[in-house]
Amino acid sequence: MTAMAVTARPGRPLSHVLLQWGMVLGIVGAVAGFILGAFIGGHLVPADANSNNSNAALIIGYIGSAVGFLAGMGFLNYPVARLLGLRRPTEADEAFLYGEDGGVGRYFRLNVDHKVIGVQYIVVIVAFLFIGGLGAMFIRAELLQPQPSYASAESYLTLVGLHSVIMIFMASAAIIGPFGNYFVPIMIGARGMAFPRLEALTFWLLPPAALILLSTVFLGGFPTGWTGYAPLADESVRGMDSYLVAFALVGLSICLSGLNMIATIISRRAPGLRMTQLPIFVWGVYITSFLGMLAAPILVAVLGMEALDRIGKATFFVPAGGGTPYLWENLFWFFGHPEVYIFILPAFGLILEMLPVFARKPLWGYRVGIGGMIGVGILSWFVWQHHLFVSGIAPSLRPFYMFSTEAISIPTSIVYLVAIGTLWRCRARFTVPMLFIMAFLFNFLIGGFSGVFLSDVPTDFQLHASYFVQAHFHYTIMGAEVFALIGGITYYLPRITGHALNEARGKRQFWVMFISFNGTFLSLLAVGILGMPRRVVSYDPGLQGLNVSASLFAFVLGASMLFFLVSLIWDTLVKPLRSRLLNPWESLGNEWKLPQPIPVHNFSAPPTGWGLPYDYDRDERRPAVLGGGIAVPEGATE
Amino acid sequence: MSPTRRLVLTLAAVWVGAVAVGSIVFALITFPPQPASNVSQSIQDTIRLITFAAWPIFSLVVIAIIGTLLVRRRAPDAAPLPPSELRGNPRLAGTWIGVVSAIVLVLGIIGTITLNNEQSAQVVGATGGSANIANLEVQVIAQQWQFTYRYPSYGGFESAHLVLPVNANVTFHVTSLDVTHSFWYPAMGVKADAVPEHDNVVSAQPLQIGPYRIVCGELCGLWHGAMSDDAAQVMSASDFVNWAQQQQTADAPIMKYLPPYSDTYVPNPGAYGS
Repeated sequence: MTAMAVTARPGRPLSHVLLQWGMVLGIVGAVAGFILGAFIGGHLVPADANSNNSNAALIIGYIGSAVGFLAGMGFLNYPVARLLGLRRPTEADEAFLYGEDGGVGRYFRLNVDHKVIGVQYIVVIVAFLFIGGLGAMFIRAELLQPQPSYASAESYLTLVGLHSVIMIFMASAAIIGPFGNYFVPIMIGARGMAFPRLEALTFWLLPPAALILLSTVFLGGFPTGWTGYAPLADESVRGMDSYLVAFALVGLSICLSGLNMIATIISRRAPGLRMTQLPIFVWGVYITSFLGMLAAPILVAVLGMEALDRIGKATFFVPAGGGTPYLWENLFWFFGHPEVYIFILPAFGLILEMLPVFARKPLWGYRVGIGGMIGVGILSWFVWQHHLFVSGIAPSLRPFYMFSTEAISIPTSIVYLVAIGTLWRCRARFTVPMLFIMAFLFNFLIGGFSGVFLSDVPTDFQLHASYFVQAHFHYTIMGAEVFALIGGITYYLPRITGHALNEARGKRQFWVMFISFNGTFLSLLAVGILGMPRRVVSYDPGLQGLNVSASLFAFVLGASMLFFLVSLIWDTLVKPLRSRLLNPWESLGNEWKLPQPIPVHNFSAPPTGWGLPYDYDRDERRPAVLGGGIAVPEGATE
Repeated sequence: MSPTRRLVLTLAAVWVGAVAVGSIVFALITFPPQPASNVSQSIQDTIRLITFAAWPIFSLVVIAIIGTLLVRRRAPDAAPLPPSELRGNPRLAGTWIGVVSAIVLVLGIIGTITLNNEQSAQVVGATGGSANIANLEVQVIAQQWQFTYRYPSYGGFESAHLVLPVNANVTFHVTSLDVTHSFWYPAMGVKADAVPEHDNVVSAQPLQIGPYRIVCGELCGLWHGAMSDDAAQVMSASDFVNWAQQQQTADAPIMKYLPPYSDTYVPNPGAYGS
């Protein structure tokens, strides 16, 4: 609708019209890029009896489609124009790129306003969560019986693979994507990110990655789960190529997002705002960004090696050709373990950021909390071989990895100390976000303690690769990160849209979600400890009772998530209720000081005098909303 | 008594009660896995130990959070809190870090000792060799999607089901013919990845006679879920010798078709590359 209106307006530059149609051009570009890439790939690797050149055609075709999509969206306009010395973007071009005309259309095209990108992220993250959740429902339905029922062994493995990889995509950006992009620049008093075009790129890499991943169902799926272990990956059908390219695109997104966040937080802070005065959420994002920037390139490299294995029999991971499966395991987990802290550190930050608002008390131990998160970030690089305790390599190093893994519980416990210190003798307000904060603390506690059993080498011999591990990381990712995501959406929705979610409905949804989540994964902790391996379509009939219990709770959990989605859409799009107050939670956070809606460039002049936003101790005095002339009035031009 | 002091004492009393109840419960229940070998026995002990160590901290955190929220909320006109309860308390934070570090250190040391005991047991088994019933070597050969067991000290015959003599020091040599699998014998507490061209050595001493189940612990493709040995057995030493001799005789005609015993096998060297 908006697209039509804009194109019809006379005197619109062609480049704006092209950008307006970006999604359509992106799809055209993706198809063209795929055909071109497949053609090149098919001819690049000469066909011989010993190589399967359709892998080359497919992989290069996928890469071509991603590049074509991004080119169609308009990502190449600026770099190519600068490279060739063509005209600089005019002010009108920049204004258009920032979506200063308003309207819904700006959410569907290349837009470099960090707030638009934050909203785009929320939509895509929630979409990923529900696609992955649907997979989980199918898996639990299949496991109602100990023998394969409606799913074949092949389709079951594809289900497991799709559920896990799409959820990894979701979890990699669930907090940092929506809330990091939307609020970090505002929290530090910046007019935007350091590299706005790069920020848009990190988002627009996700939709092609998801589509490429889902296309695996037409190519036979992939049997390896999200860990992609070689040499199984070497011998798999072509659906494996979808996993390789899609995961690499997401790796690129994680890396670039980290780089951009680090540059922004270092260079774009408001004058006088010291690092030791940043909101703790910004610190969580900052530390995570180092992990993402440094770990994701390893993932992309190892996926590239696997692609070479599949295209040209490079045998990096095949012993018969001089390679070794341990190379994949080491490189993958060297990325994979920092990756799980990429999931959880921003969630720590968000939880500790919201906690003072609802405890009505300052954040207790701000500096020691930051120290804890830095400690987690550093230690996360030294633990990856705890995934390989039973693999048969380096037995003499096992005590080291056991110690380093158990040592992570020290900085993690500091986060709990900060939370307890903040809650100590507070005047808590049990709103929906506060309930999600409490659930986060409880679920992550179980996740963390189950991790202690896994970090101990002798017990890991029994628990490794069982449902105990599966339940352990679901407690940390689903029970903690996804609970933080939903709490965060509830908390920030009035700030983003001006609409609040229905409180009573939110509480009912919370309790169903919390109880059914724990019912599901306590059952799975138990089947794991009783010896049920992960990723199996058939299992010991003696464990059917616990599996049925897990499945039934999981269906209730799925229904509660669906209820949240309907509630979210209902309260924002169908029957939006204007929030009574600009700041319904009476938060002192700087992000709540701007008018609603927040102007495109946030501030007309750099804000001054921003300190730590946790002064809740002045005994319930009303917070100073709209303070200090720092905000530009709505619609002001700059 | 100051309100802070009263709150601390109340929560401490609840916590002591929770630790006591928890400890009694943990002392009464049986922890998995079933102690069918010396290894699974020590795993069971370690799981119990970690549970005992973890429960006080777990309950402390839960009680601190729920207790401080529910037991006592400050009146609106109450006096402001002192800075140590409001902004932070370096001494308390230091104590906390020290206590958690000490617990981690102790758990790590106990884990290392347990691990060393298990590994030195492996060395004894590995050097034992020969047809000595007290020190048995078994090779586990994984392939998509089954395990095969080879008994080098009985002429290298192969069996589709794992049969072990009770009370013997058994050393498993685990390898794979294709992709990575994992030999998981839950009742014995044994799990070792089967990696192509790698000899992964673990050991255990079976202590209970009975039928058991072995499963694959690493995703290995289509029929991973169905890759199991449902007829594994531990039997008395004399039964085992009888069984082994029977198998040896039965397999004698086909022994010449089997590859000679070695740590790893490459059944199809032309499958990849070169």
